[in-house]
Amino acid sequence: MFFHIVLERNMQLHPRHFGPHLRDKLVSKLIKDVEGTCSGRHGFVVAITGVEDIGKGLIREGTGYVTFPVKYQCVVFRPFKGEILEAVVTMVNKMGFFAEAGPVQIFVSNHLIPDDMEFQSGDVPNYTTSDGSVKIQKESEVRLKIIGTRVDATEIFCIGTIKDDFLGVISDPGAAV
Amino acid sequence: MNSIEPFNRLVRLAARAFYDDVSMKGDNQPKTSRGDNRGMAVVVLDALTRRQWVREEDLAKALKLHSKQLRRILRFFEEEKLVTRDHRKESAKNAKAHNAAAAAANDGQPVAKEGEEKVKMHTHSYCCLDYAQICDVVRYRIHRMKKKLKDELDSRNTIQHYICPSCNKRYSAFDALQLVSYTDEYFHCETCNGELVAESDKLASEEMGDGDDNVRKRRREKLKDMQQRIEEQLKPLVAQLDRVKNLPAPEFGSLQTWERANIGAFAIGDPAAADSSRNSQGQYGTPMPFIGETKVEVVIDGVKEEGAESGKNGSELKVLPPWMIKDGMNLTKEQRGEKIEPQKLEISEAKDDKKQDSKDDQSVQEEYIKAYYEALRKKQEEEEAKRRMQQEGKISVPDSQTERQVGKKYKRDDDDEGIEWEEHQPTGNATETYKLADLNAEAQESGDEEDDNEWEEG
Ligand SMILES: [Zn+2]
Repeated sequence: MFFHIVLERNMQLHPRHFGPHLRDKLVSKLIKDVEGTCSGRHGFVVAITGVEDIGKGLIREGTGYVTFPVKYQCVVFRPFKGEILEAVVTMVNKMGFFAEAGPVQIFVSNHLIPDDMEFQSGDVPNYTTSDGSVKIQKESEVRLKIIGTRVDATEIFCIGTIKDDFLGVISDPGAAV
Repeated sequence: MNSIEPFNRLVRLAARAFYDDVSMKGDNQPKTSRGDNRGMAVVVLDALTRRQWVREEDLAKALKLHSKQLRRILRFFEEEKLVTRDHRKESAKNAKAHNAAAAAANDGQPVAKEGEEKVKMHTHSYCCLDYAQICDVVRYRIHRMKKKLKDELDSRNTIQHYICPSCNKRYSAFDALQLVSYTDEYFHCETCNGELVAESDKLASEEMGDGDDNVRKRRREKLKDMQQRIEEQLKPLVAQLDRVKNLPAPEFGSLQTWERANIGAFAIGDPAAADSSRNSQGQYGTPMPFIGETKVEVVIDGVKEEGAESGKNGSELKVLPPWMIKDGMNLTKEQRGEKIEPQKLEISEAKDDKKQDSKDDQSVQEEYIKAYYEALRKKQEEEEAKRRMQQEGKISVPDSQTERQVGKKYKRDDDDEGIEWEEHQPTGNATETYKLADLNAEAQESGDEEDDNEWEEG
């Protein structure tokens, strides 16, 4: 799920940036530092949409670096248990398949794949229904439901299922060709 | 005629299935046997099946509940989406308007008491069952219950665990990324590179001995057992849901439309409208709201017709003390006539096998009905006058006419109410002459009202 939230961060700036463009420098450094990172609590920071407030800088003794408390608005992406996501399959093996929804990696184990889909090994390993009408392979787009998340400080890993109503392949790269 | 009874039965079944151990406790109340009010929720739902829109104070009074307690229960049911509530600030006059509507709808409520005249502007709460939503809610609830069990049995939504057969190290699916091998299709142990086995496979191959597995097996059995019991115990409820599926749910509309429709139907004096408005509500239950309480238990395990029958008997057989007659008096006379008849007819028509059993009951019942009817008749004039006085006070706006007609049409189209009515009427006339008189009395009465109305408007 996406959220637009306000976060705060202490930014350290090298003295060489102190000048007329200090603020710009601070913001660009913030974007570089923060976008694409993951925090266990808030999820992935997708984009910074604005800087709300830059507090008074505090010169650090010895180094000359200055620490600014910066309040910024950003869009974060945090997957939740029970959430439905659309994801792209990245790898298929006998144990299930892996998929990605943006920065989030999701594993769907084979017991959470509908029983009528069987694993087919080969050049392009895949899960296929007996009539061959539905196929999950690398690059397939699937809709899945998250049934578990493991949130580390820097990573979120999810377990998903496609064994439920309206879940499964939503576009099949094989069929499109 | 039967449009609401299946829905009421559904409500009563659902109440017993899901709400009979709901305890409404204030946080500060100690848990004593006296404070134990489980079952109250069921009583309230039952009471609501015999009413339409009802002022919560009146309901509390009728149920001899503290109004706070009742409100707590109603709020709970509002959250459960079984009950619609409405609150409004109103003066004594408004309150009387509602009572008039309730009387017109034969809600069985006592008409405005003198005490209420003094009330200034007060916020009153009203409540009413939302039958359409109840069907959805109950169906959804059952669906969720079954799905949850099934999911657990299929070990859906469970995180798969893997075990290394050689070093017995356990992994969960969360470790999947680290376990992937790029040489084959399996997961491999991080320490010994052995091929991992999914734990459920282990269970399937009956490789027991692990305490963990035993626990899971027992749990599985428990789930299966629960699943079975759900099927069994909810069978009557599910059957009732099926029965009700294609019937149009009784719709009372908002408090305002309901009040207008009910006053309107009677003020205009269109007998058909009066019928339709009456048909849209409780059956035998309504005219005797307080006496009918006990019948519910019977309805639950019995066949539907049987339940209705015995319920009626129960209430009929109770010799009616004068105070009780007064209580349920409003307009009950006509209803009694037209309502009891059709049901009897139905029983004999629909249930041939039940016929024999119910015959004796019927004759007994008829006698009681007669007696009851006589008692009611004595009150007739007095009551009619009272009611007319009330209606003169608040004849409704032209709106209500359209309101009512919509309701009427709906009933006709979907329920064959009209046809059913025609079937019943002759029987009533043929078997019991007083019924005929009764029907006429009603027609005249509504005719009078029409005159009054026109006269006032002109
Ligand atoms: Zn190992």
